Amino acid sequence: MSPALETTHLSKRYGRTWALQECELSLPAGRVAALVGPNGAGKTTFLHLAVGLLQPTTGTIQVFGQHPSTQPQEILPRIGFVAQDHPLYRGFTGEDMLTLGQKLNPRFDDRLARARMQKLGIPLQRRCGKLSGGQQAQVALVLALAKRPDLLLLDEPLASLDPLARREFLRTLMAAVVETGLTVLLSSHIIGDLERVCDYLIILSASHVQLAGDIQDVLRAHKRLIGPRQDAAALASVHTVVETSHTQRQTTLLVCTNGPIFDTSWEVQEVSLEDIVLAYLGKQVTGGLQTSPGAPEPNGMEVVQ
Amino acid sequence: MIWLAWRQHRAESFIMLGVLVLLAVFLTMTGLNMAHTFQQLGLSACLANGHRDCSELEDAFQNQVRALSSAIIWLNLCPVLLGLLVGAPLIAREVEQGTHRLAWTQSVTRLRWLVVKLSLVLLTGFLASGVLMALLIWWYGPLNQVQARFAPIAFDFQGPVLIGTTLLALTLGIAAGALVRRTVLAMALTLVLFLAIRVPVELWLRPHYQPPIVATWALSASGPQVDSADDWIISNGWMDAQGNQTTNLSCSSTQNLQQCIQGLGYRANFLIYQPADRFWTFQWIETGIYLAFSALALILAVWLVRRRLT
Repeated sequence: MSPALETTHLSKRYGRTWALQECELSLPAGRVAALVGPNGAGKTTFLHLAVGLLQPTTGTIQVFGQHPSTQPQEILPRIGFVAQDHPLYRGFTGEDMLTLGQKLNPRFDDRLARARMQKLGIPLQRRCGKLSGGQQAQVALVLALAKRPDLLLLDEPLASLDPLARREFLRTLMAAVVETGLTVLLSSHIIGDLERVCDYLIILSASHVQLAGDIQDVLRAHKRLIGPRQDAAALASVHTVVETSHTQRQTTLLVCTNGPIFDTSWEVQEVSLEDIVLAYLGKQVTGGLQTSPGAPEPNGMEVVQ
Repeated sequence: MIWLAWRQHRAESFIMLGVLVLLAVFLTMTGLNMAHTFQQLGLSACLANGHRDCSELEDAFQNQVRALSSAIIWLNLCPVLLGLLVGAPLIAREVEQGTHRLAWTQSVTRLRWLVVKLSLVLLTGFLASGVLMALLIWWYGPLNQVQARFAPIAFDFQGPVLIGTTLLALTLGIAAGALVRRTVLAMALTLVLFLAIRVPVELWLRPHYQPPIVATWALSASGPQVDSADDWIISNGWMDAQGNQTTNLSCSSTQNLQQCIQGLGYRANFLIYQPADRFWTFQWIETGIYLAFSALALILAVWLVRRRLT
C-alpha cells in the first residue's frame, strides 16, 4: 500500500534556525499516528508542511504522492486539518461554520456534520466565541471530518482540553476512524492520552525524527537492561543504546534491540511506551538542548520546613 | 468563497453603507441649500449675463458658504479611514486570530481566497468612492463658478482622483496587514504610507504634471487673461531686472504701491499657473499615480500571502 505521507530529506529553516532537518518518514495509509515531541521540536512545522501552509526549505513532502504546497487544488480536498488552538471565526455561529465548510469543500458532508453536532449537543445558533474550549475543539474536528478527508492532521488537539473533553474528543475521532479508515496524524507533547488510540509512533525532537514505527514493533524492540556496572560498548556495537544510567554498582540501559540479547549478565525487562518516549526525548536534552533559564526544575521536589 | 467573504465583512459593509447614506444626505441637503443661495443672491443671473462685474455678489456668496466649503476638507478622511478600518485588518486580523489556518486548509487555494476577498473589497471601495465622487461633482456646481475646481481641496473631490486615493488607502492597508500581521501596527503603517505618498504628490508633483505657464509683463502693462475662478494659480508676484522673483513686498499702505515696488528694484509682474482646460488631464495623471502605487501594494500583498505567511 502506498504511504499516506512521505518525506525525503525534508528540512525547514526559519531565518538561521532549523525547525526540521533531514526528516525521512513514511507513514502508511490507514494508521493513527502520534507525532510526539517536546515544545519547539518542530511538530507544528511538520504538520504545516504536510498541509501546504509552509514550503520546505529543502527536500520534499508528499501526501498521497502529491506536493501540498505546489498542488494545493488536488491535495487540499483530501486533507482535514485542525490547527493548534482549533481556530474558528469567533463571530460565526455553528450554522455559519457548517455553511463555510459546505461552500469551501466539494466533498463536504453536511448531514454527517449536523448529526455529529447534534450528538455532541453543540447549539448551532450560538456564536463560536461563546462556546467552551472543548466545544470549539469539537466543532473544528467535526468540520475537518465532514470534509471526508483521507488524511487528518491534528495539531496538539488535546492541549487545551480538560480530561473529560479529551475523552469526548478522542471518542469522536475514533468513531470516524472506524467508520472511514482514514489516516490520522496527531501531535502532542505527551503520549499518555494517545497510547490507547494510536498504533503508530513518530518521535520528533530537536528538529530530527528520532524514531518512527508501529507501536507494537516499538514496544517489542525496546528493552530495559539491568546488570552489574559496566561499559556498554560491546552491546552498543549490535544494538542501539538510547539511554544509559549508572549507579555505583549497577548499570541500567534502555536499548533498541536488534535481535535477542545473548549476554546473560543483563536482566531484560519490558518498558512502557511512555518510558521509551522519555528516553528518546532525554537523549536530546543531554545532546545540548537547553531548558529556558528560570524554568522550575521538573523534579517535583518541594522543600518542607 | 464569496459567501465567506460576505459573511466575514457583513457588519463592516452595513456600517460603510450607513456612513455613505449619511454623507449623501448631508451633501444633498447642503448642496441644495448652496444652489438656492446661489440663485437667491442673483449670482447665477449675473454670471450668465457675462458683461457685468459680479465680484461683490461672488464675495457675498463666498462669505455665506465659507464654513461649508472649508469643512468639506474633512471628507479627505474617508479614503484613509477605509484603508485603516477595512484594508489593514483584512489579512492582519485573520493571521492575528489564527483563522487563516482554518481558511487556507479548506479545499480552496489561498490564492483564490485572496483574489475573491480583494475583488470584493476593492469593488466596494470603487463603488462607494464613485458614488461620493458623483455627488461631490454636483455639489461643487455653484462653487466652481466662483472658485477654481483646480485648487487643491476642490481638485481632490471632483474626479477619479477620489477613487484613486480610496483604492490606494485600501491596498496599502491590505499590504501593510500582510506585512506586519498585526492589526494595530498595520493601521499605523497604513497611515504613514498613505501620507508619505499622498502629501508629496499633492504638494510637489501635482503642479508639474505639465510645465506650468509662466507669464511676465511690465509693471505698467495689463496682465494676461487669467481667471482665478478657473485657472490654478500656483504663484504670482514681482520680478527684478535679473529675473529674481518675490511674492512678498514690504510696502506700507500709505505709500504709492507702484513707486514702492519700483523703489525695491522690481521691474515686472510674474504669474505661474495651470490653465483650467488641463483639469481632466491632471485628474487622470494623478489617478494613474495612485493606481500604480495600488498595483505595487497588491502585488506585494499577493506575494506575501502566497509565499511568506503561514
